[in-house]
Amino acid sequence: MGKEKLLPVFAIAVLIIGCFSSLYVNAIEGDSKTIKINNEEYTIRQIFNFANTRTIITDDGEKTGVALDDLIINTASKCSSCNAYTFKSKDGYQQTVTWDYLQKGVLTEDNRIYFSDTAHSFWVKDIVEIEVG
Amino acid sequence: MNKKMKLFAGILVFGSLWGFSECIIGSVLKDAGLPYGSIMTGVFVLIYLVLSRMAYRLPGMQLGMGVVAGTLRIFNPFGGCHLCSALAIMAEGAIFEIIWYSFSFDFDNMKNITNQVSMGVITAYLVYIGGYIVTQILTPIVSGVGFYVENLIVFLPRILASGLLPGLIGAFVLPGVLQLSKLDLKIKDTFYYPTTFGVSAFCWIAVLGLWFMWGA
Repeated sequence: MGKEKLLPVFAIAVLIIGCFSSLYVNAIEGDSKTIKINNEEYTIRQIFNFANTRTIITDDGEKTGVALDDLIINTASKCSSCNAYTFKSKDGYQQTVTWDYLQKGVLTEDNRIYFSDTAHSFWVKDIVEIEVG
Repeated sequence: MNKKMKLFAGILVFGSLWGFSECIIGSVLKDAGLPYGSIMTGVFVLIYLVLSRMAYRLPGMQLGMGVVAGTLRIFNPFGGCHLCSALAIMAEGAIFEIIWYSFSFDFDNMKNITNQVSMGVITAYLVYIGGYIVTQILTPIVSGVGFYVENLIVFLPRILASGLLPGLIGAFVLPGVLQLSKLDLKIKDTFYYPTTFGVSAFCWIAVLGLWFMWGA
């Protein structure tokens, strides 16, 4: 069979993959009303009550929010052997950073994290979980 | 006319138009709340890539266009993720080369509408998700934070789903672009370089000018 005859088959396969992936991501999408840290659920309001805030300068302007390192310490999630902190979004997106980056990061009231010196792809929004590993 | 010089001018003008569209039109679409990434790839990127392929019929050109457009995208005056977008654009040019190298150079395989629509879906979908995946891998590496493969794996279904809209848009756009091959659009040699360099200069001056005014 020539390549040109396979084109419609490939196109249909691509559309089926896209459709099933869309159904899957809609089915697994979580709820970002609370954030799970170290197996405990917190609301944004609670987090702002027990952790210190800081303002950082990014290339998108100033961002003020809870200091991420302080948040980890106050939720008793810091461990000496851990150095990977994964921020998970409700849509499945996640990014992992080390402790050094947490010291330059904030969680804002609109539930988004920012870092002062990373690419914007690390600015995860709609956080549902912070995993320590 | 020197063939290499003509090709270089072609890469520059199409790459500059692509980069200009990403920075200016893409930002306008984003501010309007539209799915700008899907529209950019499904419409603008597909038009530039296929049009340049039809006009020059030379491998490697679209890769060069991606490099030019990605470089211009770094200076986007309207913010966004400069590094991620630049890497994605460069990857899109490379992925287009791979897809079209595998299928056809002379467009003989795409004479009927079914194949044109199919190629539109395949090209727009794979270019979009390919660029997305490449930037998810390279951005953490290039920015020095570090790449974690599990972050990509869990997000893969979302990436595969996000290619659906550009794929559907591509189904309509590619047959439309291929219709242009019926027109005898040729530019006289004496006007070729002034036109290509003029258009390229306009794109770069407009983006860099705005970047210096607002973004820098």
